[in-house]
Amino acid sequence: MRMSRIKNWTPGVAALLCCSALLSANAEEPAESSQAIRFEGYPNAPEVFVPPRKNDLFFYPCDQCHESMEPNPEIRSLDAMHDSNLEHGRGRIWCLSCHDLDNRNYLRTLLNELVDIDEAYLVCGGCHANRHKDWSFGAHGKRVANWQGERRIYNCTHCHDPHSPAIKARAPKRAPPVRAGLNLVLGAEHEKSHVWDSQEGHEEP
Amino acid sequence: MSNDGNSGDDGRNFDKARRNFLRGVGMGTAVTAAQPAWGGETFQDAFAQFFQKDYRRMSAEEIQAALERIERRAKRRYDVDIDCQNTPPQEGVVFGYAINISRCKGYRDCVHACVKENNLGRDSQMQYIRVLQMDQGDFNLEHSDHYYDPETVPVEGKHYLPVQCMQCDDPPCVKACPVEATWMEPDGIVVVDYDWCIGCRYCMAACPYWARHFNWTTPEIPAEEVNTNTHYLGNRPRPRGVVEKCHFCVQRTRKGRQPACMEACPTGSRIFGNLLDPDSEIRYVLANKQVFRLKEDLGTEPKFWYFSD
Repeated sequence: MRMSRIKNWTPGVAALLCCSALLSANAEEPAESSQAIRFEGYPNAPEVFVPPRKNDLFFYPCDQCHESMEPNPEIRSLDAMHDSNLEHGRGRIWCLSCHDLDNRNYLRTLLNELVDIDEAYLVCGGCHANRHKDWSFGAHGKRVANWQGERRIYNCTHCHDPHSPAIKARAPKRAPPVRAGLNLVLGAEHEKSHVWDSQEGHEEP
Repeated sequence: MSNDGNSGDDGRNFDKARRNFLRGVGMGTAVTAAQPAWGGETFQDAFAQFFQKDYRRMSAEEIQAALERIERRAKRRYDVDIDCQNTPPQEGVVFGYAINISRCKGYRDCVHACVKENNLGRDSQMQYIRVLQMDQGDFNLEHSDHYYDPETVPVEGKHYLPVQCMQCDDPPCVKACPVEATWMEPDGIVVVDYDWCIGCRYCMAACPYWARHFNWTTPEIPAEEVNTNTHYLGNRPRPRGVVEKCHFCVQRTRKGRQPACMEACPTGSRIFGNLLDPDSEIRYVLANKQVFRLKEDLGTEPKFWYFSD
């Protein structure tokens, strides 16, 4: 089953990998450290190193619990442990659309490939192909630390909760101070007011 | 003559120096070089600072001496050992920036990361980045608001547009400067020699983006928050009364790191890279996205693009 993943690695890229030694050492398991993927669908895409994050996950490894549980492929709403409120796909998908039934620690793509949790971008790319392409070329997603050298880009699931992908609203950081001599005009027309007009005897509502 | 960095140290020291000097004259004794006259600096430093040349006309030794003076001055002012460098521009690199405005949510993380990185005074009312909030469907900058402060952002029906120095390729601010204290570096960054700037603010009037800011007060920074990784043309502690601006974090980007605003952006809206590298992310954006620039009709050729997707 691992071979289905391995065939996606072109030999040239594998030589580039800093983790190539690790890969050959235990080809059964995907590399634990950062991974570089050159996608076959995107020629000329520079390689991407994705920082791993599964060890930060609260429930991972999923086998901890699911080892002792009978797999149940019936589509249903989950109650215990997992948040039953899946805000992704507007009801068209459910757990086993992405998670594998038998290997709980792994995900499954639309091409029926078994992939590691840290390779979630392969699963996301199955539906969100345009975003996925932008991500691999650097127009979507967040690059880490540098603009030059090794391209480390966060996994999709680093920013988007896969079970509720929309980014949540939150409080902004502190607003800039109003410069001395200017009075900020507050009120219903706040957005339309010119701050610099306020020096000219602007009447406050 | 250039703005004397001593006066930027703080006014109190100057007053003290003046008092010491008058007292010294009154007593008929000479002020010795080791006393904290000269704005708290040694006589040698104050003298060398006063006669310091324009950055572009200094020899390597003179620049090295200036960097060491800056470090000594920071030690006196903040009691922090800073590392002031003079990293040269990389060969074959011209920096460009792009912002995805459909992903910017107006969190202002970039603004505050910039303040921290660039040793801006915490109370000096100056920030290099403004995040404009506008009605959706409206792109009138005069109707924008950068003082927005709702409970949560993004606000329904609003969009956000971060504005900072556009690093124009034909910068009007450079043409306006009467003393050539500001210029464009080979990697495309428009920089200011803070020691050469006379504070006339002509460049501020010339800039169509409100990207230049006048330093009215000596930056007050808690010692533990001073960023010690500094650059002569970048975020070194600056005197009062000079013009400052965004410099694409020259102290970071010339070493391959991201600008602080990009690193802080939680949404990944900001894309930075080398315009001359055809495989860079910025070039991919320029080739594949509908990009635009602010006030493009002015012909200043900003190296700062916006796009939405």
